[in-house]
Amino acid sequence: MHPVGIRGVGLSCALGLNAVDCVTRLFAGAVVPDRLRLDHVAEPVELSYYRIPDDAPPFDPRRFERLVPAVVREALSGAGLDEDERRRLPVYLGSSCFSIGYSESHYAAALAAQAPDAFPMPCCGYGDLAELARGAAGSVGPVFLYNTACTSAANALLGAQRALASGRHEYALVVGAELANRTTLAGFSSMQLLAQRLLPFAAERSGIVLGEGVGAVLLSAHPEAGDYLLHGGANNCDSHSVTTADPRGESVAAVLRQALDITGTEEVWGIRTHGTGSGAGDVAEAAGLRKTFGAMPPLSALKPWLGHTLGACGVNELVLYRGALQRGRLPALADAGTPDPELGVQALTQQTDAPSGRYLLNHFGFGGNNTALVLERP
Amino acid sequence: MIRVTAVSHYLQPVHEGTAPPPLDAALKQVCQENFRRIDRFIELALLGSGRCARGRALAPDCGLYLGSGMGPMVGNIACQEQLIRDRELPMPFDFINTLGNSAGYYVAKNLGLGGQNQFISRRGASFAAVLTAALVDLECGAVSQALLGVVEEAPAPVAEHRRRQGLAADAAVAEGSHWLLLERDARTGYRVEREQVARYAAAAPRAAIFHDSIGGAWVTERLEKGENCTLADGDAARGWELFHFRA
Repeated sequence: MHPVGIRGVGLSCALGLNAVDCVTRLFAGAVVPDRLRLDHVAEPVELSYYRIPDDAPPFDPRRFERLVPAVVREALSGAGLDEDERRRLPVYLGSSCFSIGYSESHYAAALAAQAPDAFPMPCCGYGDLAELARGAAGSVGPVFLYNTACTSAANALLGAQRALASGRHEYALVVGAELANRTTLAGFSSMQLLAQRLLPFAAERSGIVLGEGVGAVLLSAHPEAGDYLLHGGANNCDSHSVTTADPRGESVAAVLRQALDITGTEEVWGIRTHGTGSGAGDVAEAAGLRKTFGAMPPLSALKPWLGHTLGACGVNELVLYRGALQRGRLPALADAGTPDPELGVQALTQQTDAPSGRYLLNHFGFGGNNTALVLERP
Repeated sequence: MIRVTAVSHYLQPVHEGTAPPPLDAALKQVCQENFRRIDRFIELALLGSGRCARGRALAPDCGLYLGSGMGPMVGNIACQEQLIRDRELPMPFDFINTLGNSAGYYVAKNLGLGGQNQFISRRGASFAAVLTAALVDLECGAVSQALLGVVEEAPAPVAEHRRRQGLAADAAVAEGSHWLLLERDARTGYRVEREQVARYAAAAPRAAIFHDSIGGAWVTERLEKGENCTLADGDAARGWELFHFRA
């Protein structure tokens, strides 16, 4: 599979408002999540949540209108694309929430005003965020909007890599976007999947902590010396359960092996785990990793720094992991909790060197959707 | 050579005050089990994909590409009414059914597909988006078969759904599920050929009835009738890509 080059990145998440600040913060110790109150339900819920530090009201979807263009401009800055290249730029965007926050706000406002014509889902479809990205890039190119739960942005990266490898485009802009919204927080609360603290692969883990983040990656079909390479990967579907991964890890192992095979990867120097800290999710990922690797490469779990940014995590954590590799170090948790003997794997607790070579990035989501990507540090 | 080896086309007009027909009997013809807690969007996906794949040997690496301009509306509407209007947490399965790929999960479970499984939207051009993604994967060897389709609901009340989409108050609306099975190296079936053109004047005929993926409906209807057709994707600003389906 023809690799593509990463030519530019942008990121806003709990760690900061640009990619450099976020990576710097990644090596500056633990991050404590914020508190967020879901107070418009009959029985209000207070949650741990990793917020973007932009001093804006948390549930205002119009934050997208500032954040998406900002990360797109950051990813394109310095890439040297001319006006025509920007114009033709395709946009691959992954998100869990898309525009749901706008529908919530407009519906709530109409109900509050006792409007006789108030109706749910007034803002439908998936296109608004892509238009923000296209507008910031100066693009009129095609858009591909991925909504496959927590693998959305990873699948957008995979789709873009293959489209570039096929010769359809010279460049592709890939965006991951997730902001606080009532539906997501209430839905995860309803499913009793949320915890106060995120402890991937630890015996004490009790669930996930959500976060928000908007990231962008500019990919080039013609990598230059020094570019980090996205070699592609694989995606599959585990039909064990729509909400719970198969604890035997069979489909996880299958997608990891397929990603390694299709990219011709023989040696892996580190793995950016999905590592959500959920009971069943970590069991499946650990089982899949054990089935795939005899000697386990170093495992990094990034979500304790920025929260689980759901459909955007594929892009957001790629930007962070690449930033760590650029520093030559694999990030480690200051406190990874107690190792869980049933898992047989543990996230790094001591930073280690990151040599040149290939790295694996794991993503798993509801609907049994699994995606693994292979990244190369030059 | 990539060819279309199976087609299914379901287009059902939906009228004010009348529920669209139940799909239970039709689903029994194509489903391995009686799935519980599924909504209309998932039912439409199961029906269309099941009819398209019926009698076909699906390869172990067959990829699934589900598209929709609107996505699962019934699940989202239920969640929003529970959360915003009734101030309650949404029911877990209503929340899960809001995911674009929940329907793809049930299709995979029903057809025994363990391979690639994508949900891709591009508003009214979602059929072109999933077709493009499937062709890329077939050409690069990631899959040897691709089952692709678009699904659109028309949730009640129809008047609200028209307003939601900015349609005229008397616009005829439909729900639909439109699917193709594409195979690399197949010897029979419609050839799928791509062509880049700078100018394109002859857009698809204006449909008498609307849902957001009516372009996909137009293709599957032609192919089911045994007619060649061309789907145009793009616009004057970025140029046109034509997808020719030829016997």
